[in-house]
Amino acid sequence: MSYAYLFKYIIIGDTGVGKSCLLLQFTDKRFQPVHDLTIGVEFGARMITIDNKPIKLQIWDTAGQESFRSITRSYYRGAAGALLVYDITRRETFNHLASWLEDARQHANANMTIMLIGNKCDLAHRRAVSTEEGEQFAKEHGLIFMEASAKTAQNVEEAFIKTAATIYKKIQDGVFDVSNESYGIKVGYGGIPGPSGGRDGGSAQGGGCCS
Amino acid sequence: MQETELHDLSDDADYAASQLQGSASMMRSDSISKQSSSSDSDGAEIVYSKDNVTIHPTQFASERIGGRLKLIKQGSSLFMSWIPYKGQSSNARVSEKDRNLYTIRAVPFTEVRSIRRHTPALGWQYIIVVLSSGLAFPPLYFYNGGVKEFLATIKQHVFIVRSSEDANAFLVNDFQNPLQKTLSSLELPRAVSVAIEPSTSFSAGESPSNENQQRIDGGFHNESSSISQYNAKQRQKVHDPRDLSIQVLEKFSLVTKFARETTSQLFRESHGNGYGAIERRNHDQSYFDYPERVSSVKENVPDEIPVPSDPLEDHLIQASILVKQKISCLKHNHVEEAATNLGTFELISCKEVDKLTLVWGKPRQPPLGSEEWFTFLDSEGRIVDSKALRRRVFYGGVEHGLRKEVWALLLGYHSFDSTYAEREYLRSIKKSEYETIKIQWQSISPEQAKRFTKFRERKGLIEKDVVRTDRSFSFYDGDDNTNVNLLRDILLTYSFYNFDLGYCQGMSDLLSPILFVMEDESESFWCFVALMERLGPNFNRDQNGMHSQLFALCKLVELLDSPLHNYFKQNDCLNYFFCFRWILIQFKREFEYEKTMRLWEVLWTHYLSEHLHLYVCVAILKRYRNKIMGEQMDFDPLLKFINELSGRIDLDSILRDAEALCICAGENGAACIPPGTHLHCLLMVYYCTLNKMTSCKCGPDSGHDVFVLKSIGRYLQLLCFVIAGFSKPSY
Repeated sequence: MSYAYLFKYIIIGDTGVGKSCLLLQFTDKRFQPVHDLTIGVEFGARMITIDNKPIKLQIWDTAGQESFRSITRSYYRGAAGALLVYDITRRETFNHLASWLEDARQHANANMTIMLIGNKCDLAHRRAVSTEEGEQFAKEHGLIFMEASAKTAQNVEEAFIKTAATIYKKIQDGVFDVSNESYGIKVGYGGIPGPSGGRDGGSAQGGGCCS
Repeated sequence: MQETELHDLSDDADYAASQLQGSASMMRSDSISKQSSSSDSDGAEIVYSKDNVTIHPTQFASERIGGRLKLIKQGSSLFMSWIPYKGQSSNARVSEKDRNLYTIRAVPFTEVRSIRRHTPALGWQYIIVVLSSGLAFPPLYFYNGGVKEFLATIKQHVFIVRSSEDANAFLVNDFQNPLQKTLSSLELPRAVSVAIEPSTSFSAGESPSNENQQRIDGGFHNESSSISQYNAKQRQKVHDPRDLSIQVLEKFSLVTKFARETTSQLFRESHGNGYGAIERRNHDQSYFDYPERVSSVKENVPDEIPVPSDPLEDHLIQASILVKQKISCLKHNHVEEAATNLGTFELISCKEVDKLTLVWGKPRQPPLGSEEWFTFLDSEGRIVDSKALRRRVFYGGVEHGLRKEVWALLLGYHSFDSTYAEREYLRSIKKSEYETIKIQWQSISPEQAKRFTKFRERKGLIEKDVVRTDRSFSFYDGDDNTNVNLLRDILLTYSFYNFDLGYCQGMSDLLSPILFVMEDESESFWCFVALMERLGPNFNRDQNGMHSQLFALCKLVELLDSPLHNYFKQNDCLNYFFCFRWILIQFKREFEYEKTMRLWEVLWTHYLSEHLHLYVCVAILKRYRNKIMGEQMDFDPLLKFINELSGRIDLDSILRDAEALCICAGENGAACIPPGTHLHCLLMVYYCTLNKMTSCKCGPDSGHDVFVLKSIGRYLQLLCFVIAGFSKPSY
């Protein structure tokens, strides 16, 4: 299926916060409480539409355990968006956000759009992190924020799409050089040239953008 | 042998004259064939040529291959070529394909790292040329002398310097000053010190010659394309450190030689191990040519995209190339010639084909059944011949009902020479020992747990993971499944038994089949303990165990499929992270449950190698190599592709491939797997540091440090490889 753009997403956060469930809810629209824990990385993909343009999201769902971090870091390369997930019922997963963010800042593209997701908001009775704290953290670090539930599907669609819309806007604003795939964006067949314009194949303008 | 001091081109005069008329193709038109050629529009000239430069593939005088060594100047680059004479040997043993195999087709000196001259008291002088990739050509014997002149000629065109350590060693190319400094500050043994200042200017060459077409397989006719290819190669080499001591590199040459000799021995071994030629001929899925074909119905990934391979890069793996040639010929049974990566070769005789047996993975056997099982036991239950048992399991696995007994032996929980009674006794001892450890965490009160963060975290993690382990498998499905609770208890107990290692994700995947087979908590625990004795390092917190496994895998691919290795190198995939899951949990997620158990019992036999799992990795990669390279997959698509192979790999054929690869690699393969040496630790330090450095946003300044570090790392890697090569483990 053709797309105007392909965005690479990466889902990060502590183990057990519901990264894989969020992905499954987004791609398959179902909640599966019993699934295998993620070793290394799993992939998902879905088409969405933004501004009437088909956009393909290729989503990397990573393993959350601390000791796999050195491997996980290699997955950041070329991601346009990241979903940083914590579990609102487990305080420590919120406390670890800073370290995840540091990883993302170090290993990902500086322009990567990061969406902070407080997952499991259906379990309000066990809440250990308030919405305000989440908002505050997001604000301090320049992230988009949403509370969501992979179980009830609340805000799941919105989280993925809002991230994509933000990336799309960055493209429109000329923040990305879409011909440079290290930004995690690929222009597809139906691709609309970016604001820099006229980037049809063949005319390889050797702009010295990379060091 | 007296060496000719003069600039000896006279013997070429007639030959050069005979080449005055044009001939476009020089592909495989070995130099001595009196071909004519067009005028040298691209300005190539032969600046040195020497006849009767010979290689000795074996110790047999009858198998020597004579040829002509040349230095060719093209623009500002110098190339070296050695083309064997055609049909000169009367001995049928040295076939045309052997000659072709050793042919050195126009290697640019930018790819040469060193040349060492050897002057034995008796016999001919010879040189060993080592490439910057670390690969070495076989020794070139100068029957007519000319070594000194050869070196002198090179010196006129390329920056070459005599090693301060060894007057017979000459280093070629642009050595990097900072690197040398770093190396000397490390006081690594015998690191060479050389002058800096890469030379790019050349003195004018001698008389132009028309032999330019003898260059790179005619590639230089199309100058723009070949030059750009060449330049691309050059760019890749920008970071290639020139830091290696001659001594280390020469060891490589020995390793190469060893590989070659081992392989030729392999082919000469008499056949007769029970697998006849008919079986082999009918075997339509020949092992080494599978990249060229769709390999099984189950696997719907087409493999037919042609991928160019560079013969010059294949010298270290001539072993496997030889195999490949022969099997390609087998495929083209009634054709006179068989085309391969390396060129076209004449059809080999059926006699040779019959000798292939040894490098085929043997057909898989049915699993070991109980009747046969008892033949391995004496009256008291001892395994009479443990090797035979391991061999049997290696080729067929065991029936499920026997696994309980056999796994405990394979894993080393019970010893092969224990009797029924001794095993029974051990079981009871171990059971109470298990209970003792288990009670340690069971007795932690909620109050104590409140003040025991590490315990709480561990328990929490394990509890989260066991409910995410094989829950779709009936043994573990449903709510409040007791087996899931057993997984939890065993893992938590293990994390107390081995508190330092603790718990890491992936362990539950490894325990799951064990519990399913053993059906007993304590027995499962002790088998798991035994397994973790082998796989424990994979779960180290700093991941160094995994990094060293991935590094070993990298070396094995380099040995067994150097074009693929180079492909990964070019695409920045040498970290092999795409094989991470395979190795961490031993392919548990790649095969269905029953197949995983089969694979594991085969791996656990340690029959051919205790590292068979790495050969399984290579086998799978080789099977899909053409798809990977043909579709130009770089890290992201490759990772995705490998992930999606899950459930689509045919275990039996991969095991046969892995077996063949293991045999092919032989001791060289074993040498690729870094031993637990101090040097190895250094290497890991290097890896970690490098990861850190490359991962931070490096400015232009830090790039230099990374480069130096990479260079040191490369040195360590190679040293590691060499040391391992000389401490050959035996099986």
